[in-house]
Amino acid sequence: MEFFQNSIFNIYNYISEEHLQLMLKLVVIVAITLPLLLILRGWARRFFTKKYAPHYGMLAGKIVFYTGIILMIITIMGQLGISLAPLLAGAGIVGVALGFASQTSVSNIISGLFLIAEGPFKVDDIINVGGTIGIVMSIDVLSVKLRTFDNMFVRIPNETIIKTQVTNLTRFPIRRFNAKVSVAYKEDIEKVREILLDVAEKNEHSLSEPEPQIIFEAFGTSSIDLDFRIWAPVDEWIFLKNTIQEDIKKRFDQEGIEIPFPHVSFYTGSESKPLPIELVKGSDQFNKKAN
Amino acid sequence: MSEQPWGNVSLTDQKVQYATIGDLHIWLKTQNEEVWIAHGYTDEFKGRPKTDGPPEEITWGRWADKSAAEEVNILPVYPDKPLIVHSEYPLKVNAGTKIQIYSRIPVWVRISIPESEYQLIELPTVKLSRTWFGSPIEGELCYHATTKARRDLSLVDKKPYVVSCPILIHNKSDTELDFEHFCLRVERLSMYQHDGDFWADETQIVYHGEDLNSDIIMTGKLPEGIDKSKLLSKPRKQIHKSLATRTFKRIFQDTMDWRV
Repeated sequence: MEFFQNSIFNIYNYISEEHLQLMLKLVVIVAITLPLLLILRGWARRFFTKKYAPHYGMLAGKIVFYTGIILMIITIMGQLGISLAPLLAGAGIVGVALGFASQTSVSNIISGLFLIAEGPFKVDDIINVGGTIGIVMSIDVLSVKLRTFDNMFVRIPNETIIKTQVTNLTRFPIRRFNAKVSVAYKEDIEKVREILLDVAEKNEHSLSEPEPQIIFEAFGTSSIDLDFRIWAPVDEWIFLKNTIQEDIKKRFDQEGIEIPFPHVSFYTGSESKPLPIELVKGSDQFNKKAN
Repeated sequence: MSEQPWGNVSLTDQKVQYATIGDLHIWLKTQNEEVWIAHGYTDEFKGRPKTDGPPEEITWGRWADKSAAEEVNILPVYPDKPLIVHSEYPLKVNAGTKIQIYSRIPVWVRISIPESEYQLIELPTVKLSRTWFGSPIEGELCYHATTKARRDLSLVDKKPYVVSCPILIHNKSDTELDFEHFCLRVERLSMYQHDGDFWADETQIVYHGEDLNSDIIMTGKLPEGIDKSKLLSKPRKQIHKSLATRTFKRIFQDTMDWRV
């Protein structure tokens, strides 16, 4: 026994009993608190997602988790006998030093707070940031995570989002699709208008109200250009875009309405008469053909 | 199946049952202890479809239930969204006037297994287009229906797929009510059957002015000769005796902006 107490295997040769108890306490605190926080975070996320929206679920989860982590750190510091007062007093000097060292991170954190407060988008919204379109997966401390429609993960720093124009495609419940429709100059515009309105009425994704509109856009180089504006519920907008143009093409084909391609007319005289062709006698080509 | 297919319909193995209600055509059968349902609308077929099975382009839907049912229940129900009822001929209601009108709207068909109350499918008997009621920022998705807003239904042709909704409009404002459209919240109405016709309980709409919400009161009053024992289907939503909501006004000025 005496040998064991004096041997290198005796932990008390390296650490006092008090310190060992303290370490055990800290391990117990961390071992209990961390799983508890994860459970609470999951519960808060599920509860608020179910009751309100995924966005609020994410926020509630973060608030619960980070508050718990801060409380745990304060408790551990208390156990270690580290007083918060001198730390807070020194925080000013350390803050300045850290601020210089981590300008970008701090900027992102502050931008993140602004993003959450301003709420230009929520989790599950579809946004366009500088040409990148995707579904918002999460709004985190440093960045916003998007999933693009070709299933790529995009991380955009919060600071970039604050500085850039962000378009939220799903903020409002209905959305308009503008179909550019061109018809030949010979077509009766009144008839085209009637056909387009009928196409909109029969399309299952278009809304009767707000009413579809047809705007006479321009006398184009080869066609009369119309702007056909149709509304759909925001989650069906892509289906409307996909189907209405097919419907227009089919219907125009049925009704004999010409969708012109770009072409050039040679103007040869006072009216748009056919281009006169003169066959010149004596030329080699003419003589060969004649023979 | 009879012309009016409402009620329980027994399905024997692989024998197809066919029904048509309004524009809707339904085929039903049981196969391998599953209920098979196919449906289509008149405008989707060239000519009258066969009764012994759906055309090739229409696919069957299959439902499996623990009860391995050989019977389904076909019930008329209200559409699953409110209806924007568009009056065919605009009607103006003077200040302080109270009028009773009737709107006839097409019913939906609910098919369920009576034994387990497993709801299989709900289908409109007439395809209705959808419309937005509200502003571009907030509002609700509704169906769009046109009605003649009749004052009397005694001379109207009977249709087995429409429900007559008595509506009492009370213009309590000091201005004229230009009654062109209104939002009929059918999800709060019960449906009754009387003499082969479907009837709704009364909705009372109290109009207070263009910028104010109208009061919608489900009075529960039934047309003459109908009593509660003739109830066919309960409201989809819990009935509150009244609610104040937008009923006549829609705000679409900014969507009509022609500058952009």
